[in-house]
Amino acid sequence: MSEENGPGDLERDGSGRFQKRPESADPQRPSADDDMHPVAKALFGWVGLPGVGRMIFWGLAALSLVLILLDFGMSRHDKVETANATGFYGIYGFLAFAFVVLAGWPLGRLLRRDENYYGDQDEPADGGRERG
Amino acid sequence: MAFLLTVNPGLILIAAGCLAAFLPFRLARQVLAVGAPLVALAILLNADQRVDLSVVSALGLDLVLFRVDSLSFIFGLAFLIAAFLNAIYALHQDDRIQDGSALIYAGAAVAATFAGDLMTLFIFWELTAVSSVFLILRAGTTAAHGAAMRYLAIQILSGVLMLDGAAYYLKANGTMALEAFESLQDPGALLIFAAFGIKAAFPLLHNWLQDSYPKATVTGAVVLSAFTTKLAVYALARMFPGEDTLIWIGAVMTVFPVFFAVIENDLRKVLAYSLNNQVGFMVCAIGVGTPLAMNGAAAHAFCHIIYKALLFMSMGAVLYRTGTTKATELGGLYKSMPWTALFCLIGAASISAFPLFSGFVAKSLTISAVAEAQLFIVWGMLLFASAGVLEHSGIKIPYFAFFGHDSGKRVKEAPFNMLLAMGMAAFICIFVGLPTMASGGGYGWLYRMLPYPQEALAYQPFTAEHILTQMQLLVLAAFAFVLLKRIGAYPPEKRGLILDFDWSYRKAGYNAALWAGAVWSKTGPAMTATFTGMYKRAYGRLEAAFSPEGVLARGRLSGGMAIWTAALLGVVLLLSFISAS
Repeated sequence: MSEENGPGDLERDGSGRFQKRPESADPQRPSADDDMHPVAKALFGWVGLPGVGRMIFWGLAALSLVLILLDFGMSRHDKVETANATGFYGIYGFLAFAFVVLAGWPLGRLLRRDENYYGDQDEPADGGRERG
Repeated sequence: MAFLLTVNPGLILIAAGCLAAFLPFRLARQVLAVGAPLVALAILLNADQRVDLSVVSALGLDLVLFRVDSLSFIFGLAFLIAAFLNAIYALHQDDRIQDGSALIYAGAAVAATFAGDLMTLFIFWELTAVSSVFLILRAGTTAAHGAAMRYLAIQILSGVLMLDGAAYYLKANGTMALEAFESLQDPGALLIFAAFGIKAAFPLLHNWLQDSYPKATVTGAVVLSAFTTKLAVYALARMFPGEDTLIWIGAVMTVFPVFFAVIENDLRKVLAYSLNNQVGFMVCAIGVGTPLAMNGAAAHAFCHIIYKALLFMSMGAVLYRTGTTKATELGGLYKSMPWTALFCLIGAASISAFPLFSGFVAKSLTISAVAEAQLFIVWGMLLFASAGVLEHSGIKIPYFAFFGHDSGKRVKEAPFNMLLAMGMAAFICIFVGLPTMASGGGYGWLYRMLPYPQEALAYQPFTAEHILTQMQLLVLAAFAFVLLKRIGAYPPEKRGLILDFDWSYRKAGYNAALWAGAVWSKTGPAMTATFTGMYKRAYGRLEAAFSPEGVLARGRLSGGMAIWTAALLGVVLLLSFISAS
């Protein structure tokens, strides 16, 4: 099967697209799960630490609070009158974001179809050309 | 050398592209791809502004091939930087067609930007469509093939509308010079507006973008993201500044893609929706049309071209290494692609307009201009869309690709040339976003090149008030993300296709056409049979009456003749009698 699929290290995915073979194993390094790119350890090593999720959550909560408290000490002169209310931007951002995300539930149910809905996903590339 | 300075820089790229498309030597193509944008940049930086640098007469029209002013300069500059970055990003690939196509396409966009008349604009406008389609086709899938054909049809339609509008324009004005329309009622204005609207992906005309870009090749999507829509933005800024309709079109454009982006699984398609949303800001600013707003549109276009390319580059690298950009199959890639992850985060911070990143200094101009114009509802929509950008481009893209649930995929880091291109783009994102520095860097560097530099430099993006409000918007929105994630209210990524307006022609329209075909295949023969029967009967009757064997030929010839002659004479007499009286 794979010999017919394409030249070199290319193969086809489910939609017939030529692609490089997923390089699931880098021969240079053992494939142990905790083995990370050295740069990844330096830059993002903290991401995998236990309790980071909770720290980000509470950190953002604290930062949000600080930003709103700072707003009390500042008299703003926005062109839009309503926007001068304390914490307007923060509350607006929070609500807008939450609305967009929560709208994803009904919208997904309404609009999501099978990946091959238009019937162009399963055939290999040349199929179309031969027929065309 | 002096001659070279009068050549439209786009033509240099086009010539290099034509050559590259036929050159079998990879190294030569690489030199062309990287070198041509640099030569073009040198020409642009030395070009005199507000002068027709190159004029050709053809078909009785004076074609102004090269004319630079402050508006076209900033767009052309962004295009050339993008062409250069794209060339570096594509260095690992050995594909004549894509190399040539990318260069010609970029060249066409640059040439169109510096066109001094509608006809020249039209020629390069069409060339962008024809040359770029190969970047989609070369992905090689049936889906890409279909998308490429739809893309081509829609883009060519845009060109045809524009040519039609240009004809009206020429008839009414006697010139093809690129002048702003007074209103949409001007001759040809509506046609040209529609042509620009298609390319700018106005709402309901937008589907070609989400359809084709995610199906393009790894490098193709990066190249495509820079030019077509921003060329349309430039054209709108050139010919429709201050057109009120654009305010609302732009505002709607910023809001609606946000909802599609949140449920879309293919991250390159999320970026395509995000592109739509960003172009909406520019379109809205052009509609407002004040110097501040026009500066906003131009600055936003410049920054957007770079950070959107950066985001597409990072997703391209992911696609190149893992073979997919579906959120459901990705996650945890920061462990093996940390540089790509870092550059993606810089792009995400830029597009979300975090202070110290380029989006902040660009988007602020537009939002301030809208507020100054007292357009409060539009202002609210843009603010809403800003939170939406943070959702899909700021958080969703990096989170689902590089963090989030670990997919277990351990791949190689992106090739060095890709990292280099991403690094350069990331550098520009930060360089432009910083406060003005004594060395000439910072946002002042960008503001000085805007269409109205004095107004731009009078504007202060880095006020305590502005930084605080922007941080409030972004941080509380980000807090909404972690909160919704924590309580499980964030919709999980699911495989699937999200229906959009293109359903109307890809499903409903297509099925209607199939149905009409089926109906016709039945009614056609039936109608033919009916008509044939009628002919036969009519002919049979005529033959029975008039043929040599017919009724009238029987009996004496003179008798029949005499009767008919008398009858005709009577009719003539009657007619002359009526007409005389």
